[in-house]
Amino acid sequence: MKRYILERLRRLVPFFIETPEGSPPPDPDQVVAFSEEFFFSGTPALRVVFFLLLLILQGLCLLTRGKSLYSLPREKAEDFIQSLSSSRIAAISAIPMLLGMPIFMAHYDRDDVQLILGFDVEALREEAAKREVTR
Amino acid sequence: MIIKPDDVPGNISRDADVVIIGSGAGGGPIAKELAEEGYSVVVLEEGGHFTREDFDFRTGEAFMRLYRDGGQCMTLGLPVMLLPQGKTVGGTTTINSGTCLRIPRHVLMRWHLEHGLRDLSEDELNLLYSAVEEYLFVKRADPEVVGKNALIFLEGAEKLGYSGGFLPRNAKDCEGYGVCAYGCPSGAKQSVNVSFIPDAVKAGADIYTRCRAERIIVRSGQAVGVRGRFIDPQSGRKTHRIEVQASIVVLAGGAVQTPSLLMHNRICLTSGRVGKNLSIHPCGATMALMDEKLENPKGIPQSTFVDEFAPDGIMLEGVTLPPSIFAISLPWGGKRHTTAMRQYPFYGTFGSMISEHDSVGKVVAGPSARQPLTFYHLGSEDLDRLKLSILLMAEIWFAAGAKRVHTPIEGFKQLTGPQDLRRLARTRLKRASIYGLSAYHPMGTCAMGTDPEWSVVQSSGETWDVENLFICDASVLPTSLGVNPQLTIMAVAIRTAGFIDEKLCSRSIEFEKPSRIERLRKRLRGEKKTVNRHLPERDQAPTNP
Repeated sequence: MKRYILERLRRLVPFFIETPEGSPPPDPDQVVAFSEEFFFSGTPALRVVFFLLLLILQGLCLLTRGKSLYSLPREKAEDFIQSLSSSRIAAISAIPMLLGMPIFMAHYDRDDVQLILGFDVEALREEAAKREVTR
Repeated sequence: MIIKPDDVPGNISRDADVVIIGSGAGGGPIAKELAEEGYSVVVLEEGGHFTREDFDFRTGEAFMRLYRDGGQCMTLGLPVMLLPQGKTVGGTTTINSGTCLRIPRHVLMRWHLEHGLRDLSEDELNLLYSAVEEYLFVKRADPEVVGKNALIFLEGAEKLGYSGGFLPRNAKDCEGYGVCAYGCPSGAKQSVNVSFIPDAVKAGADIYTRCRAERIIVRSGQAVGVRGRFIDPQSGRKTHRIEVQASIVVLAGGAVQTPSLLMHNRICLTSGRVGKNLSIHPCGATMALMDEKLENPKGIPQSTFVDEFAPDGIMLEGVTLPPSIFAISLPWGGKRHTTAMRQYPFYGTFGSMISEHDSVGKVVAGPSARQPLTFYHLGSEDLDRLKLSILLMAEIWFAAGAKRVHTPIEGFKQLTGPQDLRRLARTRLKRASIYGLSAYHPMGTCAMGTDPEWSVVQSSGETWDVENLFICDASVLPTSLGVNPQLTIMAVAIRTAGFIDEKLCSRSIEFEKPSRIERLRKRLRGEKKTVNRHLPERDQAPTNP
């Protein structure tokens, strides 16, 4: 089950994260490595939830688009994810939100991505290292 | 000393005066107080020990290392809420925002009237609060460091005439790195891992890390020790055993783990109240797109508050989010998400905290002691209150100049102006239409009281059922506080340490000394009168006589 989840998440990365010009592209390997740890440290129940969500996501795509999500062209797959996000039914809009959690956390935790967003982690890390507060 | 699993060559069997399960806001202060009194103290902590060098601004890793279940603990019920809890030396204090508020007076009065806790007097609490505040360098957040996010929101509140200000925090020389919830990288935040625990260790306490307590040993109705297992951090497998025989056992694992351990040990169940009466603070958050860059998350994440509606159970408290957490809080995926993320520097964030009125919750023993189930049902009054808090935040953001505000309410993910506020105000919410909620500060699952049929522990912290077994964490606080509870947990912990000290002293015929409270009183006597700096006058916490 874990393998299935990680492999599917890897394939979902480009549908969830667009790469604007000048931004570092998402790294599916990094997302998978992060997700593996994410699931290891979490409750087994969450793995089951993710497994079910991936099946539901695929099922909904087959039902509404007539094709597997992973065989859709990127733009159409993105549109499909977007349409779920915009649903007024909370149970449906929650699907991409939950599945996106490890993907977004992994990608936006990268120093180079954060730097583009104005959060210079490396500089702060150096500053904090020099500055120890003692009691 | 602090002992890691690698330092343990085999099974351990040892004696101590006091063995404490948990090293957070309850366990840490007790360990320090009793170790400094000369008792041999052993602390068993399930999480690992990390220092400021380990806190390197990586939020994802912090979740996995410092949070229970990688930060994925949730309540079951409607709506589902994340309930983050710390699992590291220092407990949740290592990953909280450092806010230090005293108990509101009306809550203390309720404890007196409804739970019979009159001996937890205003005077005594004042002494304890003063001692903790002094020890933890508690002072209001420095406006120079709080960051633009906080200042802009406060400006908006002022425009609307809402009362607010800067929160008191346990931080010394804080530079506002903006990552309190992932471990303070400078050591400025005086969480238990940098304050009480090091002092306890200096006084001779031994802290066993990655050591999970499994069995409380009870003989003839008396607690006499604890058995546990070390956990290998890489594999998560159990390794060596530890057994500590002690005169006193203190359970301080937090309001979710403590009842779970009691239920799995089948002790203290006479009242039927273990795990019941769970109260938490459900929280909502808003994100607002502004015209100027806010330099988030630099600044103090939780530095300001708006307490205009505190008497109605709504407290607004600041929050800033680093990019990775901001990203998972946005209500979209795909293109729209990417577009919003590009505007991250222009987004402001603020949070609200609800003091419950008609919600109910409980902790139930799960398949293992490690994984209890937390059930929580948000009551309709509290749902309305949550909606009101989100409306208030949005109103303040618009007053501060926001172009649009994102809320966690289905159908109202994006508000663009006062007309949307009115539309939201008129809407009757369903529980399922709020998503992405989180809750903090679980309390009340082993409530303190004077009636053994309605409480689990006595006012001293000792359980009604098992002699020499004390509970000291948020689980003993009988009701929701409506404010961040760490200061109150610490104050009650020092009080409990006093009772334990008295109990241990009374066993020694040649050793007499004044009570702990009396000594505390003497230590503080002669100091300038303490004024409550935390709440507005109408809801003042007790002050020193």
